[in-house]
Amino acid sequence: MTCHVPITQWSFMIYIRGRFSLKTFHLALVAVGLVLGILLAVQFRVTLEIQSTEPVQRAKTLAAQVNQVKSEREALQGQVGSLRAELDKAMSLPQTAEIMEELDRARIEAGVTELTGPGVEVTLNDSIVSLKPGQDPNLYVLHDEDVLRVLNELRAAGAEAISMNGQRLLATTEVRCTGPTVLLNKNKRLAPPYVITAIGNPDTLESSLKMKGGVAETLQFWGIQVTVKKVPQVIVPPYSGGTKFEFAKAAA
Amino acid sequence: MKNALKKTTYLSISMVAVVVGLMMALQFRTTSNIDQAVPLDRVQELTIEKKQVERDLNQLKEESVDLKFKLEEAGKSHTAATDALESELLKNKLYGGLVPVEGQGVEVLLDNRPDSSFYNIKDDDLLKVLNDLRGAGAEAIAINGQRILSTSEVRLAGSHINVNLTRLSSPYKVVAIGPSATLKSSLELRGGLKEYLNDLGVSVTVQSEDRVLVPAYTGPLRFDYAKPTQR
Repeated sequence: MTCHVPITQWSFMIYIRGRFSLKTFHLALVAVGLVLGILLAVQFRVTLEIQSTEPVQRAKTLAAQVNQVKSEREALQGQVGSLRAELDKAMSLPQTAEIMEELDRARIEAGVTELTGPGVEVTLNDSIVSLKPGQDPNLYVLHDEDVLRVLNELRAAGAEAISMNGQRLLATTEVRCTGPTVLLNKNKRLAPPYVITAIGNPDTLESSLKMKGGVAETLQFWGIQVTVKKVPQVIVPPYSGGTKFEFAKAAA
Repeated sequence: MKNALKKTTYLSISMVAVVVGLMMALQFRTTSNIDQAVPLDRVQELTIEKKQVERDLNQLKEESVDLKFKLEEAGKSHTAATDALESELLKNKLYGGLVPVEGQGVEVLLDNRPDSSFYNIKDDDLLKVLNDLRGAGAEAIAINGQRILSTSEVRLAGSHINVNLTRLSSPYKVVAIGPSATLKSSLELRGGLKEYLNDLGVSVTVQSEDRVLVPAYTGPLRFDYAKPTQR
């Protein structure tokens, strides 16, 4: 260390005064030096290790894995889609035209095909109202019921297919608001803003939400941002997985 | 001499003390930071997300195997092609809610309690029941015999509730197929929907059954706007 000069100086001086022996002083210094050295080394190591600690490392690898399976899923979805198209071509005979039409309708209800058509885009976002002290913040955030009500209103107005942030809504889709996110389709997480895309008659869909005393007005009262936009052509994606029933079997 | 000694000693001691103090502070900070560096939540979230995507993948794989098989069949002969078409149709009707289904599940009976004449069951209440059942894994649901599709509305109209444009009135019997124990407990949990509706003045009885029947949707199916995307 850099305290060489003072050490000799002090020790000399202390020796002269005769209170401590040079030896004890040196020993004490060595001990302090050792402790400091060890502390420094540990400190250095710890700071280095933080970058490679288990949770950080784990989160990084997990994120990479999630991205990988997601792209796998996308590829498989495309594959399934083209298989379906191929099958349709193979199956379409003059005498099956009627059944093919029925199949198309069943597929729309089952949510397995990507659909295009006119409709609306509804954007929901949490309140921008700045709360005064004493106000209940709970009143000013988006709740499950709010989303359910918007979806229900769209269905009542004749929406033929609906998706929310790219997740197709099925007959079995639940909506749960937990803190800042919405979970749906068995806990798939969506982040705000929430964009609900619905195919149907754009005018009917829009006016059913915007009517006086309707859903949009109620939500806007609480400061929740609601915008409804008519769109000549929207795309509603298919359900991201495949459907499978574990409990329900076709009844004879 | 004595003064000089004191000064240098004090100076160096205070310097050492400062260094040690700084190091301790730094040490303390980093140690308490370690736990926060990555909230454990994030790891859990990612683990859950990965599981879900993997489940999607597996289901898609099954679907693709099924489609490949049918495609092969369809190539063989005309009759095989019609058979493949029939089974593809049945599968999509099953998932779309156009076929009656049976399985284990629950029966939920909702009625206005006679002692509280002020409250009438509202559409929101039924929507919440549906949402809870869906969240607990219900695969098929019907209210008073009306199958709930992805396009079904539940809407208050006077003192009645319309589902699939059909007028229903209380008592409402909601039948759901799915893991019966989970479905039942999700409604009956403390502070859950049953308690909430009870407080409003609605009597709720949930019964789990080994076998319930959920009827098919029998109304018209018309899609005037939605068309499969052309590629």
